[in-house]
Amino acid sequence: MGLKEYVVKRIVYSVILIFAALTVNFIIFSMLPGDPLEAYMAKMAQTTGMTEERYLALRAELGLDMPLHERYLNYIQNMLTWNFGRGEIGGGQTVTQMITQRLPNTLILLGTEAVFSIIIGVLIGVLVAHKRGGLFDTATVTASLATYSVPIFFIGWLMLFFFAVQLKWFPLGGIQPRAWGRTPPTSIFEFLAGRISCLVLPTITLFLFSVGGWILLSRACVLETITEDYVVTARAKGLKERTVLYKHVLKNASLPLITSVAMTFGFLISGAIITETLFSYNGMGLLMWNALHPPDLPVLQAIFYVIALTVIAANFIADLLYGVVDPRIKYG
Amino acid sequence: MAARKARISFAIKRFKGFWNQFKKSKRGMAGIIIVAFFSLLAIFAPIVAPYDPITPMKDKTRYPSDTKPPLIAAKLANPSWYKYLPWIQRGPTNAEELFWTNTSQLGGLYFVVFGRLEVTGEGAISRATIDEHRGNATDDYMMLSKAALEAPQVQVIYPNGTTRDIANTQEWWDIRSPAAVGGQFGSPTYNSLRSFVHTLSETLGKDLVYAVFKLKYRYSSDVTENIELVPDFQFSSDQNFNEQWDWATLTGSAQLRYNSEKGVNNDGCIEITYDPTTTESESKVVLSSRFEYPYWEPPETFWAHLSVRVQGKPVDVTMTIQKDGEHKIDILRLHLDPTSLYFHRAIYPREKPVMEASGSLTPEKIVMPSPGNYTFGVEVAFSGNDDAAVYLDDVNFISYGNSFGLLGTDNAQGAAYPRDIFSTLVYGTQVSLLVGILSALFGTVIGLFLGLVSGYVGGITDEIIMRVADLFLVLPTLPLFIVLVVALQVVYGSVSMWNIIIVITLFGWMGFSRTVRSMVLSLRERPFVEAAKAAGAGKFYIISRHILPNVFALVYITLATAVPGAIVTEASLSWLGLGDPMIPSWGKLLYDFQTSGVAITKGLTEYWFWVFPACLSIALLATAFILMGYALDEILNPRLRMRR
Repeated sequence: MGLKEYVVKRIVYSVILIFAALTVNFIIFSMLPGDPLEAYMAKMAQTTGMTEERYLALRAELGLDMPLHERYLNYIQNMLTWNFGRGEIGGGQTVTQMITQRLPNTLILLGTEAVFSIIIGVLIGVLVAHKRGGLFDTATVTASLATYSVPIFFIGWLMLFFFAVQLKWFPLGGIQPRAWGRTPPTSIFEFLAGRISCLVLPTITLFLFSVGGWILLSRACVLETITEDYVVTARAKGLKERTVLYKHVLKNASLPLITSVAMTFGFLISGAIITETLFSYNGMGLLMWNALHPPDLPVLQAIFYVIALTVIAANFIADLLYGVVDPRIKYG
Repeated sequence: MAARKARISFAIKRFKGFWNQFKKSKRGMAGIIIVAFFSLLAIFAPIVAPYDPITPMKDKTRYPSDTKPPLIAAKLANPSWYKYLPWIQRGPTNAEELFWTNTSQLGGLYFVVFGRLEVTGEGAISRATIDEHRGNATDDYMMLSKAALEAPQVQVIYPNGTTRDIANTQEWWDIRSPAAVGGQFGSPTYNSLRSFVHTLSETLGKDLVYAVFKLKYRYSSDVTENIELVPDFQFSSDQNFNEQWDWATLTGSAQLRYNSEKGVNNDGCIEITYDPTTTESESKVVLSSRFEYPYWEPPETFWAHLSVRVQGKPVDVTMTIQKDGEHKIDILRLHLDPTSLYFHRAIYPREKPVMEASGSLTPEKIVMPSPGNYTFGVEVAFSGNDDAAVYLDDVNFISYGNSFGLLGTDNAQGAAYPRDIFSTLVYGTQVSLLVGILSALFGTVIGLFLGLVSGYVGGITDEIIMRVADLFLVLPTLPLFIVLVVALQVVYGSVSMWNIIIVITLFGWMGFSRTVRSMVLSLRERPFVEAAKAAGAGKFYIISRHILPNVFALVYITLATAVPGAIVTEASLSWLGLGDPMIPSWGKLLYDFQTSGVAITKGLTEYWFWVFPACLSIALLATAFILMGYALDEILNPRLRMRR
């Protein structure tokens, strides 16, 4: 019975989080001193020379004429119904269209990266923890600490420099080979190959950016459990060292790891914004960059909401996974 | 008094013990050395960095305020130590190349295509490999003229295989063609090339499609540096004037002499007086200075300045440059009426109408095409039969090379002046350290306070603080910062460094306050807290005297590990163009690179010194703090210490 209760509790918690995130978003854009949205509209009206009609329509869309509480409700309704209005940078596309087009691209990038970095990071982390104190350990930990703190655009530029500019192994950027133009090849293999070749460098960049964190984290988690009595028992039983490590130790050490999967998702998205900008990979990050110069607040507001939503969703999934893996929840 | 002394000596002893432990950690030492290095760089930035990182100008105060002071260097200059690199080619090289023109396009634009041709049999081009294709005639011309600094040898290969030499024909190959002498730079060379090809096609019949040229030329490249004509352009002493300048009266009776009090700042200047005899109607005086231009490549740009005051009658003032044995070229002509004040004029060659480029043959290439001795002159021409006097001051000429400083210069959009990258880099240390340390400090203090309160007070306060912390931890940081900073930017026009520190602080306390809270929760159940309570100690006393000291070791660790996060966040925000525009941070340097319009492929290879030093500095500084924090963690963290 424990699991069901746990799931319900998590759902309620996630919904509360979504509302809280929405509120933070609202506070930033509408309640900071000077009312950013209002200031933005004033600036827009000045610089773009839009018609009176359009100006009023945009104001109404943003709810700028309503009192604050109504504006808040209007905003919540718009966000929940996925109605983000029409940005100035879209060129006729609604913000919703722009986001739904680009969100999958970002998720593909993040998903591929996460799978690789988690698997490889955890494997290395366990190995390093096992041989704690050795040269390999010291080297790996130092390298992890370094990649963990290196700005991601540095990694990205190095990748671009070596693999795209010098060696020309991969395209410089974009989401698909430039030669395709508007007509992607019909052959599914060609299509996949083209897309993947564009995915490689951003993925490696993000991978190098995040794998250090995974190594350090799994190393720490394994070190917590490796000294426990049951591990000694398992060794005393004569089990192979690999079995002990990956079956006995990692299983218990994985609980805190799962919690931090969700935590790192926000961190990863931060990295993805810069990576996508670097490689002009057409995802949420590039959309955000495009909405920065000149600033397009309604678009940014929507993007931030959607990003927060994905992070909360990732948290929720991680929580569910935790519930399934941790017997204390299932039977407790 | 004694107690205080004992306390101090105890603290010193403890610190020594700690230091002995810390010294053993290689990572910690590496970190501390790097941090110390950058801190020194930040403190001594004004001494280390030679130029202003935001709006650098050379001799800003020494030139009159109503003229633009000279640049420090040309845009996108390479590091000056490039000249020591053995693989950088310097000087002339003889080259031979075939190119062909498509004469069917003669009516409008035509094509010159560099490439290799294989001419086999009678009059047919069997295969042409196109190396480089220039669609626009002026571009081709640039290509050719750059290639042909010295008179080249050109050979026409006719379709039937016979050849004809047209070397040194002057027909279209003299880049310092006579038309340039009058100060008017048309493009006679381009037109004559076209008419040449035209006549060629007429003599050979209409069916000629290609004319093939074999071009033997001297190509040259060099690492050039800035050359300043005279150091004392203000004529501050008679002696300097005699050393640096010559003068001569070309026609008439006008005389030149040094005047020590009528200059711009009532200091030294040059006085030219015209006291004509009754029959005299004009006179010309020239003030000149010779200099050597040693490089095999024209300068990137040049700058000339002149302050002049005229008394009596209007005069003509002309600035000229002349290579020995070549034509004289006017770079500035002025017709000045008498005034009581000085007239200041600074010119850059691209400035119209002073000079016009002919095609893509830039003024720099026309004025200083090849190494040799040059003469810079200021000619003053009087006319009529009335007395007149001219005062000259602040006369200088600077040619800008393609190399400068330790790390070259940038080409930032929106910046009027190219900046010295090394200076920006050095000043950037200040920003990174300040933002990193301050936001980490504030965040840690807030986290400590909230953690203590939350853990010790408990109840609803605890609940609220922890729920807010949960929410903030879930929100993705960089998007949140971006959104916040953009909102501030829209309202206030631009953000300041302090805005960024506040924003980072605002979302930098959660992790630490959670840790502190959990520690406090366990500490407050300990017997010594019970004892203190029983002795009648208040909440504040217990927190500050019994709990805080136990938590404090964590503060150092958190500080060290929070700094790199803040440094990288600040750099990322600036990289996205959301930093303080008036502050030279590392991230901004990289943002400038991104938005400079330099293509990324070209930029990363040719201007690596613009990108990678800044990236490396951020990475090094951040890593140094992390390493320090990690070493501290190993020493101070009770959990880890116990396991040892």
